[in-house]
Amino acid sequence: MPSPVAEREILSADEIRRALVRIAHEIVEKHGGTDDLALVGVQRRGVPLAYRISASIADHERVTVPVGAIDITFYRDDLSMVAHQPVVKATDLPFDPSGLTIVLVDDVLYTGRTARAAMDALMDFGRPRAIRLAVLVDRGHRELPIRADHVGKNVPTSREEVIKVRLRELDGMDEVVLHRLAEGDRP
Amino acid sequence: MKAQTERVAGEPGAAVEPGGAVEPGAAVTGAVGPGAHHEHEVWRHRHILDVDDFTIDEIELVMATAAEMKEILSRPIKKVPTLRGTSVTIIFWEASTRTRVSFEVAAKNLSADVVNIAAQASSVTKGESLVDTIRTIEALGADMIVMRHGTSGAPYLAAEHFSGHVLNGGDGWHAHPTQALLDLYTMREHLPEGTVAGRKVVILGDVLHSRVARSNIWTLTKSGVDLWLCGPATLLRGFERWAGATIPGSATFTVTSDIERALEGADVVMALRIQKERQESGLLPPLREYTARFALTRERLALASPDALVMHPGPMNEGLEIMPDVATGTQSVITDQVTNGVAVRMALLFLVSGVRDVE
Amino acid sequence: MSSRALAGADLAIGAPVAHLELDGVWAVDPAAGREGPADLVVEEGVLADLEWHESSGARRGRGRATSDGQRHGLVVAPGFVDLHAHFREPGFEDAETIVTGQAAAAHGGFTTVCLMPNTEPPIDEAPTLRTVLARAAESGIPVRVLAWGAATRRREGKGMAELGDLAEAGAIGYSDDGAPIPVGLLRNVLAYAGMLGRVVADHAEDRELTSGAEANEGLIGTILGLKGWPRSAEESVIARDIAILVDVLGSDSSAARLHLTHVSTAGGIDLVRRAKAAGLPVTCDVTPHHLALTDEWLAGARRWSWQAWQDGPDRDGSGAPTANPWAGDALAGPPYDPALKVNPPLRTPSDAIALLAGLRDGTVDAIATDHAPHTLVDKEVEFGLAANGISGIETALGIVLVAVEAGKVSLLRAVEALTVGPARVLGPAGVPAPALEVGRLADLVLFDPADGWLVSESALSSRGKNSPLLGRSLPGRVLLTVGAGRLAYRDPDLA
Repeated sequence: MPSPVAEREILSADEIRRALVRIAHEIVEKHGGTDDLALVGVQRRGVPLAYRISASIADHERVTVPVGAIDITFYRDDLSMVAHQPVVKATDLPFDPSGLTIVLVDDVLYTGRTARAAMDALMDFGRPRAIRLAVLVDRGHRELPIRADHVGKNVPTSREEVIKVRLRELDGMDEVVLHRLAEGDRP
Repeated sequence: MKAQTERVAGEPGAAVEPGGAVEPGAAVTGAVGPGAHHEHEVWRHRHILDVDDFTIDEIELVMATAAEMKEILSRPIKKVPTLRGTSVTIIFWEASTRTRVSFEVAAKNLSADVVNIAAQASSVTKGESLVDTIRTIEALGADMIVMRHGTSGAPYLAAEHFSGHVLNGGDGWHAHPTQALLDLYTMREHLPEGTVAGRKVVILGDVLHSRVARSNIWTLTKSGVDLWLCGPATLLRGFERWAGATIPGSATFTVTSDIERALEGADVVMALRIQKERQESGLLPPLREYTARFALTRERLALASPDALVMHPGPMNEGLEIMPDVATGTQSVITDQVTNGVAVRMALLFLVSGVRDVE
Repeated sequence: MSSRALAGADLAIGAPVAHLELDGVWAVDPAAGREGPADLVVEEGVLADLEWHESSGARRGRGRATSDGQRHGLVVAPGFVDLHAHFREPGFEDAETIVTGQAAAAHGGFTTVCLMPNTEPPIDEAPTLRTVLARAAESGIPVRVLAWGAATRRREGKGMAELGDLAEAGAIGYSDDGAPIPVGLLRNVLAYAGMLGRVVADHAEDRELTSGAEANEGLIGTILGLKGWPRSAEESVIARDIAILVDVLGSDSSAARLHLTHVSTAGGIDLVRRAKAAGLPVTCDVTPHHLALTDEWLAGARRWSWQAWQDGPDRDGSGAPTANPWAGDALAGPPYDPALKVNPPLRTPSDAIALLAGLRDGTVDAIATDHAPHTLVDKEVEFGLAANGISGIETALGIVLVAVEAGKVSLLRAVEALTVGPARVLGPAGVPAPALEVGRLADLVLFDPADGWLVSESALSSRGKNSPLLGRSLPGRVLLTVGAGRLAYRDPDLA
């Protein structure tokens, strides 16, 4: 539901589509093909993005790169700071990641803690040969030495701002917006 | 209960019911689709003392979280770092292997540090009071206490004197909340449509002395079950009154000593352990008679529905309250109860860990 | 409006009240059968003057309580008489001493207290009794202390105690309280005590039926997993005691008298009612906690008995309402508060309502506190292991006033049950009937029904802080207690 607070559109539906197509190409280019390649979406919005990227790769390369979903609730390092229990979603890795190049897919890269938790979770399933990171939006303010290999758009933000990614699979529409946090809001 | 479902690709995100069936003709694209997601709940419980004050939503949250924990148990590395740095002290004043080990495994799977105290061996036997013992455990740095005690209400006293979280592994005759939740999880896992609402569930045996029965009464009545308690009249003492009291939701609650009427068409039969002391304390004739009239035999089980689940909280007296062929038969889900126990306890340890010092 | 003048504002406890003037206070004098606005003067410890204002709402308080819109300001009544209290000395001074008990009594408005003999050593011999009485007399707190002598040696139920010697030393009656007088001995005790002109108070409990019991046998006990304390354990013994009394009256001593203490069940009250209707010399007392609290408090509810009775959605087999605190939002605090563990146990709302009815219709002769202080060590344990007893002498008036405010009993009747009633139970061996009688040494309590006080550990004078009302405000702040013309208690904020 669009927030009553003033929102500024960062990416339109078309821009999202083009960004994902570009990321799909980049992934294949960097990997030199699709063999031993898999995508793992980080719950929640990383998962539909991973599916779209896989579909895009299938368009160009006529190969279906497998997709998994990973939930990082149990790997978060900030549980003690969460006032309410975070909602636990589903992890489903229908393949053994050992020996594969895994591209983690998420909607927004911010402090880097989610990506780090996702790597921890992934490595409990096996030993990937390599892990890469693809994100739709990088908003800066890293707190860990993490960088994305593939970025849809770089959006400099301040800490009082929030990036909201909406995807039709979950929210009924595609857009990325920016808005200011009101006093007392949780980020 | 399954947390993942298959969906038609490209459908706008609708909340998916946990345990929903696979839709016919769903396109499978090489992987299972995004998992079911749940309404964000505020979990109020700093302790797990009893299920009498759990809302239906909280019960659902436990079920969903336990499903996630079960997924972890199916991984090669059955461990997540969620409670790393958290110290869990398990202190049992009443002997138990099954529940104690289950909690220990659950805590360790969440990477917690576990200290195990068998109260017989500690200074408790030297006459240290419960309150002093709790204070000592707190001073030793425990964040969570898991306890089992022979006196009803003991965990509430412990909770009053402990700044962390208390989980009740069984107190006297009063409550065994984790058991009731794992029982419910097991029932939902095996019953069609993953729900117990409207199902006939029979709890059979020494209800009077059973904390398992009392906690199950809460979870099952809140879940809208057709609940039956069955046993000798002396061991049902007082429960007719409970059955006549106002019950939440759509449950029905019948208390009877007529085992045939109770078992007829049942969907779940839960047999309770009978202890030899009951005969000695004058409540029953020699237990041979209990077995003759109330044991869960193959013949009696045949009165229930053909797919009825057979459950038992353990440990079992095979040949006394339940016959061996029934305990290990195809309808028995007793070993699933044990597995699910670890998952449910992991879920509860996780859920309370996020609750700060409260109200 | 009322005003008061207390000459010598720094009067010490125990000092004679030189001059006290109370104008326009609401005087309650059950012995005279009247209450109403009055002016009262105490001079040199004696009640020198009592002027009733005419045209007041003075009335006898029997029958249903009526709300009294005419009562203003402070209330003065005769000092209360507690038929049943435990001051733990000798033997258990950590929980209470005679001196701290007297201070607590005075704070509660009591100027006479009858102690039960379950001390260590028990009060089963004259020397022990004299020691206790002497201790009370020399304390400097003018609360009159009387004592029940043990009925059996060491209260062990194996043979009669020295009842005659105890009578000569001042025992007001005999009881093994804490324990019932065994059926084998009860007959003989009743007869012998009748011969001595003393009443026998029995703690009616069948210990075989209550072995291991933790809470009233009922819905709450079942759900909380506590071993039941059946009503039959009290009712059967009351019935048996009355039957034995009948035999005694017919054959042994026509002067025998039976008093049943802390009756807690509707059935028990009923048996007493029938015995009285048959003209038998049977009396009984009830505690404030059995009138106002119920077993649902064990589950964490905190409603007064008449509220639970009214709001209870369920009915038992006989159609009486039963409280189900889980249906609705009556649960206000944590369950299993060991301060609620008492013998006899808190019963259901129907029982409490029956006790209130018995109080109104005169079946209940007295309200007695069964003040039972305990140390933290004995109470701060698992519920089933906690010592039995409520520290209640200071909260009794407050509870009674809550019931009066709710219209469950009239003020006059309640004060009667705290003064004249207990005196009547004891008979000639006890105390003269408490009254606001001109010319007598002043024995009175002044309290403000409109001013409450917070029940807290520091507010309680008793060493026993085991009250389930901690943290709660009660009405009826006691301002002044005068015993035998001397100051027994004075509120710190009193001018």
